Order: sequence, then C-alpha cells, then structure tokens
Amino acid sequence: MNVLGVGLLGGLVGLDATSFPQVMVSRPLVAGTLTGLLFGQPAEGAMVGAILEIFDLGILPVGAARYPDSGTATVAAVAAYSSIPLHALDPGILLLTVIFGLAWESVTGTSTVWLRRLNERLVLSTPRWHGRPGLALERLHLTSMLLDFLRAALLAASGALLGSLLLKPAAGRWVLGSEFAAAALAVAAATVLGALVSIFGGWRERRAALVLGIACGSLLLLLLR
Amino acid sequence: MSALGFGVRLRVFLRSFAIQGSWNYRTLVGTGFAFALLPVLRLVHGSSTQALRSAIDRQAGLFNTHPYLSGIALGAVARLEEDGAPPELIERFKAALRGSLGTLGDRLVWAGWRPACMLLSVLLLLSGAPWFVAIAVFLLAYNTGHLLLRWWALRTGLEAGRGVAERVREAGLEPLRDRIAAAATFLLGCTLPLVAARGVTADPIRPAIAVLAGLAAFLGLRFGMLTRRPAITGLALVVAIGLLLGLVR
Repeated sequence: MNVLGVGLLGGLVGLDATSFPQVMVSRPLVAGTLTGLLFGQPAEGAMVGAILEIFDLGILPVGAARYPDSGTATVAAVAAYSSIPLHALDPGILLLTVIFGLAWESVTGTSTVWLRRLNERLVLSTPRWHGRPGLALERLHLTSMLLDFLRAALLAASGALLGSLLLKPAAGRWVLGSEFAAAALAVAAATVLGALVSIFGGWRERRAALVLGIACGSLLLLLLR
Repeated sequence: MSALGFGVRLRVFLRSFAIQGSWNYRTLVGTGFAFALLPVLRLVHGSSTQALRSAIDRQAGLFNTHPYLSGIALGAVARLEEDGAPPELIERFKAALRGSLGTLGDRLVWAGWRPACMLLSVLLLLSGAPWFVAIAVFLLAYNTGHLLLRWWALRTGLEAGRGVAERVREAGLEPLRDRIAAAATFLLGCTLPLVAARGVTADPIRPAIAVLAGLAAFLGLRFGMLTRRPAITGLALVVAIGLLLGLVR
C-alpha cells in the first residue's frame, strides 16, 4: 500500500474540511474518488465515497458542535478497500468498507476536538509582545494548520493500514452474500436520504418539491431500464 | 467606499480562506479573523507599533462567523479601522454580527447549497454517469457559488461598513436560501426512487426490498436526522451477524 500517498492525500483532505480552503475536496464523494485514483480504482472509490456521502450529507458543521471528519475517514476506508485483491465492485465488501469508514469517522472527529483544545492552549501560551507585531499570531495560525494537516495525514495512513488488516480477513468470512449486503445498504441509505428533508425545511414546507422529484426520479428509473 | 487598495483587499480575501485555521473553544475563529485582517491593520496602524499591537489584540478576541460570509465582517471592520472608529464601537459591532452571520451562512451553504450540489452529483453517479463527470459537476457548481459568495461578502462589507446589516438584508439571501432548499428537495426526490429500486450499487433489487427501502425513506422523512444512528447501527448489526455466521461455519 502507498502509505505515504494516502497520508499526504489524507492530510490535504483533512485540512480542507475546516482549516483551508474548504473547496470540498474533503467531501466523502470527492475524497473517495481521489483515493481511488491513487490506487487506479476511481470508480470504486467514487462508489464507496457516494455511500459515505449519503450518510454524512445531513451532518452540518454548525458552531462548536462535534461532527465526524468524514473526508479523512473516507481516504482510509477507500485505501483499505483497494488493498483487497477482489477488484470487482462486490456489495458485501462494500458494506464492510462503509461500516469501517463510518466507525473511523468517529475517531477522526474526536481527533478534531483534541486539536481544537490544543489550539486553545497555543492561543493562551503565545507571547504576543515579542518581535514584529502580528508575527506571533501568523506563526500560531500556521502552526495550527500544520498540526491539522499532520493529524489528518496520520489518521488517514493509520486508518488505511488498520482497515486493510481488518477488511482482508473479514471479506473472506462474509457469508450473507452480495444481494443481502446490497439490500441492507439500500434500506439504510433510503432512511438517511428521507431524513434529509428535515434540513431543507421539512415535509410540510417541501412536499411539492419532494413529490415532483420522486415523480421525475421514477421516470428516470423507467428510462434507465 | 473604502480607500484600501486592490492588493490589500486581495490579501484579505485570500487569507479569509484560512480563517478557521486555528479554530479553538476559547476564541472560536477570533485568531483567524485577526490573521485575515492583518494586511489592513498593518496598513492602517503601521506607523505605531503600540497601536498595531492593540488592534491585533482587539481583533483576535472571541468571534464566530460562517467562513464563506466572513468577508462581510472582515470588510466592515476594515472600514471601521480605516475610519479610526473607537475600539468599543468595533467590539460592539463585531458582537452584533457574530451570531447572525453564522446562522445565515449555515442555512444558506451547509444546509442548502452544499447538499444541493452534492445530491446532483450523487444522482448523476447513480444514473450511470462516469465518475469524473459527477465529481467535476460537483466541484465546479459548488465552488462557483462558493467563490462568488466569498467575493460578494468582502465587497459588501467594504462598501457598506457599519451599514452592512441592512445591505445583507436587502441582498435577498433568505429567499435565495429558500429556492436552493426547494431545488435540493427536488433532487433528493429524484434520488430516492433510484436508491430504492436499484440500490446504491445500481444492481437490481428485489421488489420486496424496494418496498422496504421506500418504507425506510418514509421513516426518515417522519423522524428526520434521529434515524441516522439507528440506520448505521442496523448496518453494523448486519455486518456483525454476517461475520459471526462466517466464523461459525
């Protein structure tokens, strides 16, 4: 596994999530595709990323709320998925990867809280009255960003290694079959997609748009058959 | 209108992309705000080290805003510093902006523009579009809105100064947010039948499962984000059972 590449990508993705520049390469769909590209499997990376994206779309990074760092976790999950020799898009392995990604998100999210506490200490301990005015502030700010990059890089690389260690034996022991895994993913994804209406204003306010969308989606479904 | 040159404006604009770089529980984005405003503070107070240090300390205190709308506060405070406004006035002004910019940006971007662009991209992917098309559409559409909003925010702040609240109200961001939320709901509606009937891997799913997925979507609709954790727990249980059966065999 290209651990250095995973670490660098994870660092950039983690940095983008909050620190700089928030152009959303940190979204699971984009981060998953970029990681897939790193391993020559962009379509598979996009699929893992899209599923993790569906689960994370409703999480809003509002104020000081705790939320998962989904981009870094997606990099780890897709890297782990790519380490499995089975290269066809198997729903069973996809399900295992998604669960690993969702579990790793809570680890990366916790690390963000720790980093913010560390930033707090840095702010308190920075000597403001030495040297050129503003220089200490610039150093503090850039140090915090560097720490964020290192945090994400370390977690992406270690997550990828841990994930590949767990997924390889787990993939061999998966006995419920692809159809069952695909069905479980579809039901869970439909649940969280339905829940998204609440962040757009709720059923009462948005029923016309939702019903129209479902009608168009059904038409699209017929066309795709 | 502010007399700040294009170079200073550009530096503030670019630095605003890193406004959350030192986010912490004590000053929130306060230190990032001062970091972004430094080019203005150095220009305005550069002749007096003491005045510059005081201005930096003043700006590095507690502050919060949505990162994309931070330009509104940065521009308006830059105008106040430029006009030599008293520190107490700047403090009060920042305190008044703090909550409203955060809420407005959260609703407009995090709960509107971002999921709308992402749902379009996911819909494309599930419809069979190549991965690079789905990703390019998301990044281009999202960041066009993102960059326009950031530039508009800084320009508005610099132009309006203390009158920025009224300018933001007149800009019609709330009605825009409403239209974006409606579009996002429409895209969500388009995505739901695809997920229910073809799953997330675009493999055909049995009709009974499709009905189950439809019911699950209804539960999500009824109980909102409360259903996310049970949905993930359910998936984890399926994985645990699958692996356990594999160990027993």
